[in-house]
Amino acid sequence: MRERFRQRARKAIADSRLQEALDYHAGRRMAAWDEAFGSLPDVDRHRQRAQDIRQQTIENLDHYLEHFIQNLESNGFHVHTAKDAEEACRLAVDIAQKQGATLVTKSKSMTTEEIRLNHALERVGIRVVETDLGEFIVQLRGEPPGHIVTPAIHLRREDVAETFERELGMPYSTDVEHMNAAAKEALREVFLSADVGVSGVNFGVAENGVLCLVTNEGNGRMVTTLPPVHIAIMGVERLLPTMDDLALLLKLLPRSSTGQKITSYVTLIGGPRRDGDPDGPDERHVILLDNGRLAMATSSLAESLFCIRCGACLNACPVFREIGGHTFESAYPGPIGSVVSPGLFGLDKYGHLARASTLCGVCQEVCPVGIDLPTLLLRVRDSYVQEVRQPLYIRWAMFLYAWLMVSPRRYRWGQRLGAWLSRLLPRRLGWLRWLPPPLSAWTVSRDFPLFASRTFLARHYEHHLGDRPRATPRRTSQKIDLSSHGPGPEDLAERFGRELEDIGGVFIRCHAGEVPQRIASRLNKLGVDKLITWGEQGSITTLIRSLQDERFEVLDPTLPIGTGPDRYARLAELGTADAGLTGAIAGVAETGTLVVPVGRKRSQLASLLVPVHFAILRAKDIYRTMDEWLAAVGEEQLAETACMNLISGPSRTADIEMTLTIGVHGPGMVIVYCID
Amino acid sequence: MVETIQIFATCLIDSLFPEVGEAVIEVLSSVGVRVSVPSNQTCCGQPAFNAGYLGPARRMAKYTIEVLEDTVGPVVVPSGSCAAMIREGYLELFSDDTEWLLRAIQLAERTYEFSEFLVDRLCVTDLGASYSGRLAYHPSCHLLRELGVDHQPLALLGAVAGAQIHPLEPVCCGFGGLFAVDQPDISTEILTRKLEQVAASGAEVVVGCDVSCLMHIEGGLRHNGSTVRCAHVAQILAGREAELR
Repeated sequence: MRERFRQRARKAIADSRLQEALDYHAGRRMAAWDEAFGSLPDVDRHRQRAQDIRQQTIENLDHYLEHFIQNLESNGFHVHTAKDAEEACRLAVDIAQKQGATLVTKSKSMTTEEIRLNHALERVGIRVVETDLGEFIVQLRGEPPGHIVTPAIHLRREDVAETFERELGMPYSTDVEHMNAAAKEALREVFLSADVGVSGVNFGVAENGVLCLVTNEGNGRMVTTLPPVHIAIMGVERLLPTMDDLALLLKLLPRSSTGQKITSYVTLIGGPRRDGDPDGPDERHVILLDNGRLAMATSSLAESLFCIRCGACLNACPVFREIGGHTFESAYPGPIGSVVSPGLFGLDKYGHLARASTLCGVCQEVCPVGIDLPTLLLRVRDSYVQEVRQPLYIRWAMFLYAWLMVSPRRYRWGQRLGAWLSRLLPRRLGWLRWLPPPLSAWTVSRDFPLFASRTFLARHYEHHLGDRPRATPRRTSQKIDLSSHGPGPEDLAERFGRELEDIGGVFIRCHAGEVPQRIASRLNKLGVDKLITWGEQGSITTLIRSLQDERFEVLDPTLPIGTGPDRYARLAELGTADAGLTGAIAGVAETGTLVVPVGRKRSQLASLLVPVHFAILRAKDIYRTMDEWLAAVGEEQLAETACMNLISGPSRTADIEMTLTIGVHGPGMVIVYCID
Repeated sequence: MVETIQIFATCLIDSLFPEVGEAVIEVLSSVGVRVSVPSNQTCCGQPAFNAGYLGPARRMAKYTIEVLEDTVGPVVVPSGSCAAMIREGYLELFSDDTEWLLRAIQLAERTYEFSEFLVDRLCVTDLGASYSGRLAYHPSCHLLRELGVDHQPLALLGAVAGAQIHPLEPVCCGFGGLFAVDQPDISTEILTRKLEQVAASGAEVVVGCDVSCLMHIEGGLRHNGSTVRCAHVAQILAGREAELR
């Protein structure tokens, strides 16, 4: 395995296009990381708290899992547990087959890569389409993802253009917006006609049985909303005890992962479609995957289960930067993958990965939950040499080395031998330019110093050093920064607007009375005819009436229950709407986030399926942070709905060469009217 | 009162770079501490530990603990990764062995890396040294991330009259102990990036606080025919850069 890894690494290094792509990615990712954490005061305290939460969760995993399952069930989820990959695949295939499914859409999930779910579904004749742009590209190419967050990291735009030309018949173009549009078009039909949607889960919340999905493109929302059946596949460790914990982790995950304060969408799923809901899947299944995790939770590698799969350690790792993800041949590459892969899938097959690290520690430095990856890598190395047979010469060399070092006499003898041998070898300017195998691996690119003819200890004990005149040492001064002032009172609506505009949204502050006329004129300007709106309720009713009076067509967004052709026809019709209009039950100023619930006549499609999303937000409903919203009203609001979306600006992707494109599957324009 | 300190020179300095050990003694003597060098010291065991051979690593760790237990005063290690091995690695090695863990903790508490000892413990930065030219500073990984020693070497170098200091990015040089020979291709690629940074800095000497990284970087420089050399911070502080070969 080790030799195979070396060969693959060599191949990756020789691949100049891959090298270009990796360099490009690493540079931009780390710059984004620096900037994102610059906007989070008290980073260390946040990270420490996140680590404590994850540690407490993993140490009491059985307890939280039991609560989580109870709460999921009382929320109406079908809960399944799978002890291994095979069982998880069988469960998913059974659900899909019971549904008579022929087409399954997926949003990105590394857990499904781990269990090779696509393969299992395809084997029984079900078509599986990956809808995350990066995953879509690598699926078209028949490749596994090259990174756990950015699957197409190993490709340049030319590679993607060639793939789209070959597989989608797109005229060759390296324009990223053009390529994104082609993918969007190819996937639109797929979204609207899928029978089952499969997603992963970023976090499961134990106290209320809610699933949290963190996405940017909007495909995750499509996959978990449009098909009549949703299957979520979740590793058992991806739990958080409370919503407060979730609020904290949501500060860290997007920052660590993509350098965003928050992703475009945070979806909180509290169950299947309820009576009176206009949309949402009739059934939601959760498959809880063990596959070695529970055993690992009580092993010396338990800390690796703290991981929230942000990918920061991959982005920062100097080794990953040279060889990319495919070299690792595991769903989980990079530093965390080099611990998790041997821990879950076997030391014999993956133990050698732990050696592909210089132990430089940058992985631990960037980890949002403070996983001590260098120590975990060392533990894997320890188990690996104990349990997997190593070449005899290495074991002998280690034994001999320790034997020499525990006796000063033998140590000196070894040094003398080294000095004598090194004088027989070829030199260049006083250093050795060649060493015999296996040390020749050093001299392929580095000269090696000669052993000293007289060692430091020998020299020290033979003569005293003469004193040389020195200047008087000075003391360092200690500076204490006392200039910290608390922030003054803040206009939350103003802050909300600033943050929203920062991420590409439009913010308009006005009086309630002005809204109908302002929206109508903007709709006209945009050439909108058809609208999806929330059902008539509360203050939005008069607004809808006045828009109907202005001759805008308002579509009824209610989807028929079940899988019949009616559902797909209805979806196709709704897919033609030009804009959506919703309220928002709250806003989060810090990130410019709208809280948009689903259910009770409040259509999800009005903020998802349309190119432009209009939202009405009352200034008094704006909270400073997500924690403050949750503490004030959020948790109750959440309990009342099957699905809550936290929407931050337009849909976006940066899956091709990290070039940001606005408007993928969700709305490309988000216009918020904030009324005082 | 004159403080007595112990130098744990490390096997690399003892065997390959004795002049670094001498520079360390010279600098420490100049600030008024009494320097002692335990004569039976060998290697801290880091290479075996990092390769996953914990049995041999424990033997060497126990030996080193025994040698240094017989001495008094702070232990100063002129190498970041070896200091980190004693301070952090030994605790991991003996996490299941209470007796040795206690002994390891006692040693860890009196162990310092060279620049850390000068700046944090003795509160000394200006040693009256001078150097005319440009120095690139390589922040070694274990020094920086395991020991948290970041500003101390720069404070010492900043006080060197006439020297222009160019800090290199805090990225690994690709050494990683046995990694350098276990994965020579990856190691070389990472080193190449470091050498490009060195060249771009325009410095004629790369300074650092860990001779293993410096040996790796200088090995690469020499292999490529560069005339840039590496030096331990102590060599610059002692004004012994003429010894660079």
